[in-house]
Amino acid sequence: MPVIDTTNLTKRYGAVTAVDGLDLTVEAGEVFGFLGPNGAGKSTTIDMLLDYTRPTAGSATILGRDVHAHAAELRYDVGVLPEGFGLYDRLTGRRHLEAAIRWHDAADDPATLLDRVGLDGTDADRRVGQYSKGMCQRLALAMALVGDPELLILDEPSSGLDPHGIQTMRRLVRAAADRGTTVFFSSHILAEVEAVADRVAILADGDLVAVDRVDELRQRVGSGTTIRLHVPGAVPGTVTDIDGVDSVTRTGTVLEVTTSDPAAKADVVTELRTAGVEIQDLAAEGPSLEEVFTAYTQEVSA
Amino acid sequence: MTASWIAIARKDVADATRSRMLWGFTLVFVAFLGMALPVAGELFPDVVTVSPAKALAGVAMLAQLFIPGIAIVAGYMAVVGERRTGSLRVLLGAPFTRGRVLAGKLVGRLVVTLVALTTGFAVAAALVVALYGAPTAAAFGGFVATGLLLGVVFTGLAVGGSAATATRGHAMTATIGSFMGMVFFWQPLAAGAYAAVTGGLPGRIAEPWYFLLKRVNPLEAYRVLTEAALDERVDAVPQFPLEDVPRHAPLEQLAMTNRLAGPVPFYLQDWFAALILLAWAVIPVLVGYHRFRTTDLG
Repeated sequence: MPVIDTTNLTKRYGAVTAVDGLDLTVEAGEVFGFLGPNGAGKSTTIDMLLDYTRPTAGSATILGRDVHAHAAELRYDVGVLPEGFGLYDRLTGRRHLEAAIRWHDAADDPATLLDRVGLDGTDADRRVGQYSKGMCQRLALAMALVGDPELLILDEPSSGLDPHGIQTMRRLVRAAADRGTTVFFSSHILAEVEAVADRVAILADGDLVAVDRVDELRQRVGSGTTIRLHVPGAVPGTVTDIDGVDSVTRTGTVLEVTTSDPAAKADVVTELRTAGVEIQDLAAEGPSLEEVFTAYTQEVSA
Repeated sequence: MTASWIAIARKDVADATRSRMLWGFTLVFVAFLGMALPVAGELFPDVVTVSPAKALAGVAMLAQLFIPGIAIVAGYMAVVGERRTGSLRVLLGAPFTRGRVLAGKLVGRLVVTLVALTTGFAVAAALVVALYGAPTAAAFGGFVATGLLLGVVFTGLAVGGSAATATRGHAMTATIGSFMGMVFFWQPLAAGAYAAVTGGLPGRIAEPWYFLLKRVNPLEAYRVLTEAALDERVDAVPQFPLEDVPRHAPLEQLAMTNRLAGPVPFYLQDWFAALILLAWAVIPVLVGYHRFRTTDLG
């Protein structure tokens, strides 16, 4: 039985179609990334899965139960980190967690949950009104973990987090997956989805562009990263032979190296340095979402 | 199985009792009583000896404005407030149905309103006893009961309106607007309807349905019931001179029962006014529930 199953799930607001006939299946135990730019319909889809909004057409089930008819009882099995959530400014973090535990009839230890999301006891005893966005995000995640749910639905879980928080989030998602929890999360950052997801669905303008395994996605999008190096001097031809380097082009003093293996970046730099080439500047950029879309949509039309 | 509304109500009472506005309103009510009661004789057009029941009638007159005010302040942000801050998404992320959330909110705000009103009435009672002597238990009990019932009505209206709307502004318009309509437009509309049907303003003797029309207004129903409980006249606030009655007619002639050509129909009996108030306590909540249950919480 799929954990999430949508059939022709559609949401229109007047003439605008936010989500257009989505058919999506998420299997037990997988980490599923829901990727798309802002405004693609990710949050609208998640809001429908959580019964915050109702579909114009189609339906969705979670763990075999209709998301509308069984919305409240599903919460015992589904941990939720919704977009645009708000906490109670006047209550402490610990109070929030205690309330969530009571609401779920759960027996979790608040200290354990706080520890898992990286909040300490001092943080927990402060009022949430004094929390940063990232701390609110961590607390909300701790509340989502209450009752050890079978499925976690996280809407843009990394938004508002600093790099360290993003690391914690990734670690948590992987840890949850290792315990057998299914994770469904949305993001508009390709690197984030690549880092933690097993499978990914790509959404653009309310349409599902593709559903793929992350390794296949990587392959299809081709190059992992493009590095641009500012090198005035001559460059040895051996750079092309480095494992994971796809192509090397030189335009004036700028050397553009495309790689399919993240590790190749350091190798390129090392190779140049040992050859005594002076590197004046260096920039790396991963494939953009647009490039991902192009890779998939061209495939479809070809 | 889903989580109980009691958890919501408990959290809500704790939250709402921290509202300065609510206690400010209650304080203004108490202060108003403190100023008005010692000079209660002045509230009446004629020179009267103020009996305890008459003093309570004066309090009831003010209460027509203060009870709805307190109840609306206590209730209008109940649901829409959580909706705007996004904490509703957290509540609904827990095993609560929308109905349970609304029920918890309603009970929570009822507790708050009733505590505030009880505080006000306790002060009123102490002042009345000190200044004018003790009212009969029946009169005082009836006075408190109708007051609390009016508090329930307007808390229901406020929480229902809060559940039915998506923004604070709309919730205010719906709840305060309804109250303003009852205060300022109901009497003129009833008199206008009477003129449209009969060709003239209601006179000292008028058709019974006109009195029913007025009485469907919960403020009027409260006034009628409190008059019955105190056996004293309670003036409407404000009183519009829209009826074609002699200016200095004796009060007795102006009693509703003496303004009917025939016998008093069932719908103008006191129990029917109580029924009207009960209907007002329930219907806005049901309307709010229906809209809240079916809306998109975008």
